[in-house]
Amino acid sequence: MKASRLLSLVGQNISRSRKNFLMSGFGIVVGVATFVFFMGLGEGIKEVVLGKIFIIDQVEVIKKTFDTGIIQTDSLMGFGGSKPLNDDVVEDLEKLQGVEGVYPKQQLTFPTSGWGGKAIIGRDMRTVIFGDGIAPKLVHDDLENPDAFIDYDAPKTCGADDACHPHQQCVEGQCQKRSCDPKALEETCPGESYCVSDGGGHCEMPIPVIISNGLLEIVNGSLRTAMTTKRRKIPRISPNVLMNLTAHVGFGKSYLGRADRRNPITRKIKLVGLSNRAIDLGITLPIGYVRRLNARFSGEEAGNEYHSILIKVKDQTLVPEITKSIREKGYDIADKTENAERAADIIRTIEAIFGLVSVVIIGIAAINISQMFFMIIYQRKREIGLMRALGGSRGDIRALILSEAATIGLTAGALGAGVGYGLSRLADYVAAKLPEFPFKPDTFFNFPPWVWLAALVGATAFCLFGAYFPARAAARQEPAAALTE
Amino acid sequence: MIELNHVSKRYKNAAKSEYALKDVSLRINEGDLAAIVGTSGSGKTTLLNLIGGLDRTYEGAVKVAGQDLGALSDKALARFRNQHIGFVFQQFNLLDHRTVLENVLLPAYFAKEADMAALTEWAKRSLTDLGIGDKIDQRPSNLSGGQKQRVAIARALLFKPRLLLCDEPTGSLDTTTGQQIIDLFGALNAEGYTVVIITHEARVSEAARRIVHIEDGAIVEGGLS
Repeated sequence: MKASRLLSLVGQNISRSRKNFLMSGFGIVVGVATFVFFMGLGEGIKEVVLGKIFIIDQVEVIKKTFDTGIIQTDSLMGFGGSKPLNDDVVEDLEKLQGVEGVYPKQQLTFPTSGWGGKAIIGRDMRTVIFGDGIAPKLVHDDLENPDAFIDYDAPKTCGADDACHPHQQCVEGQCQKRSCDPKALEETCPGESYCVSDGGGHCEMPIPVIISNGLLEIVNGSLRTAMTTKRRKIPRISPNVLMNLTAHVGFGKSYLGRADRRNPITRKIKLVGLSNRAIDLGITLPIGYVRRLNARFSGEEAGNEYHSILIKVKDQTLVPEITKSIREKGYDIADKTENAERAADIIRTIEAIFGLVSVVIIGIAAINISQMFFMIIYQRKREIGLMRALGGSRGDIRALILSEAATIGLTAGALGAGVGYGLSRLADYVAAKLPEFPFKPDTFFNFPPWVWLAALVGATAFCLFGAYFPARAAARQEPAAALTE
Repeated sequence: MIELNHVSKRYKNAAKSEYALKDVSLRINEGDLAAIVGTSGSGKTTLLNLIGGLDRTYEGAVKVAGQDLGALSDKALARFRNQHIGFVFQQFNLLDHRTVLENVLLPAYFAKEADMAALTEWAKRSLTDLGIGDKIDQRPSNLSGGQKQRVAIARALLFKPRLLLCDEPTGSLDTTTGQQIIDLFGALNAEGYTVVIITHEARVSEAARRIVHIEDGAIVEGGLS
């Protein structure tokens, strides 16, 4: 039978049995709506939890520690000292299968404080600063302007075509910081650079830093609430307002203490972006600055040893295998990575449960559809016999019934997907009325194409499955027997 | 046109196996207007089902228009019925959810090749010739018995089959209408159609040029011409 004629017959049959089909299709609509709603919710939560809170496509390697129950140490009573994380380890980890990139991290190992913020909250705030150094490449994709997050003081050769940064000049093929007069009334350094007095007066570029989205959420959440009084309302800070904001940082001194090797220095920092890979509480700067500052204030060794090494994996599914290899090499995995794995497991489990519930609902609907088709076929027995007498083959009858089922499945699937999506919009609308909380997303839902595809294909497949046996029974009827009913 | 050689048909149930037709041999020539007569339960309808390819479980050989029906696949047999055999039933077997015209065109849905526009044109003309041209958009439930049977005849003639098989075609009609339908079959036979009518009515068999008597599953008269 030609497809156009088959569709014509299907349309007529569905139209005259629409009450039956509506009843059976209702179950599919409910099942698919449940599936779409919860899969969308699961994917949405996964995006927030695993994309912003616990990043799942990375593993953070740390030195092995020993937990005494009270404190954690690098060695246990002088035995079993943990292996340091240095460039050799980075090289070794790069060789692991499934690794996309290896990025060392180094924390500031000396007291640091910062002050600033007048432009936003009306007065400068002073605070202890924790700092983390990372490879700029790690956050390249997260930043709107990744070129701003660079190490301006990294050794750089220069020539006719290869210019130095504004605060530098080319001396014998090497970029060197320009000299300046720190006592001059007007700024003598070009561009954004400024004059500092330590080291005999020279120009410096503000150190580019990034902060985590989580830190901004904390500032906008509990900190804003704590600082808001009846007379002074602190506005919610948007990332755009923070961009290019400058502040001062005192390296080598804070309320907590003072570095004893060298005198503290003061530098400007400039916020150039937000990234979920930045340190949760503190500032993150290009690792070159941290290495030089640690070497200056804590000794050369401190500049060469990393606090952790981030491994970006090619595929999330490889994380357990990579984690195992790292542990075999004598290193540990940061709690955050383990939490991410746990969070991923929980979300996957919840998704699987709701997926199963949806499948059960659709399955029950499919049984209902099967019964309905058996009933319809019984009612149409003589008609089927007539169709066979007039030239319909068994295949034609089978195709007719299965096409009716597929049409119900597709229609109910599309309707269910629409209902599921509508419910998700309603849930987002209700959620928007809730008070702000950290990481509150604009939408709790994410609908990747596979959700729609699975909804339509699943609904159709279940309907076809439900109609398969009735279709087979109908096709097996001998026309003579059917016509004598 | 029709050739049955030693054909038997048994109906099996849990208790026993019963012959509906036993060792039947029959020959009907092209252009015949044959009546198969017999009492109720004599095996007439079973015989018609075998000739029409509506029942494939039998012993012996059934040939129609030179084609051994037993050798055809389900698909090929369906196509054969579609193109070469027209059926007219006592209960008309019209679909009430379709219009008269759509009922006539029903066999076209199962045809491998069908020019729907040309067939629609033919169907309209045919229904007009049969005196029900003004009913084409009506549902069968709005028609009289005679009109319904005319629709069924138009449907049977859609692909101009060589053989018309009619199972008690006047069984549900009054005498006058029944006679009109008998006359119509006579006219179709005159046009070249081979017509086989199953009946227990004497007036139908009187119109036939050939009569085959069947009793208790066996042909007792007129089987071989």
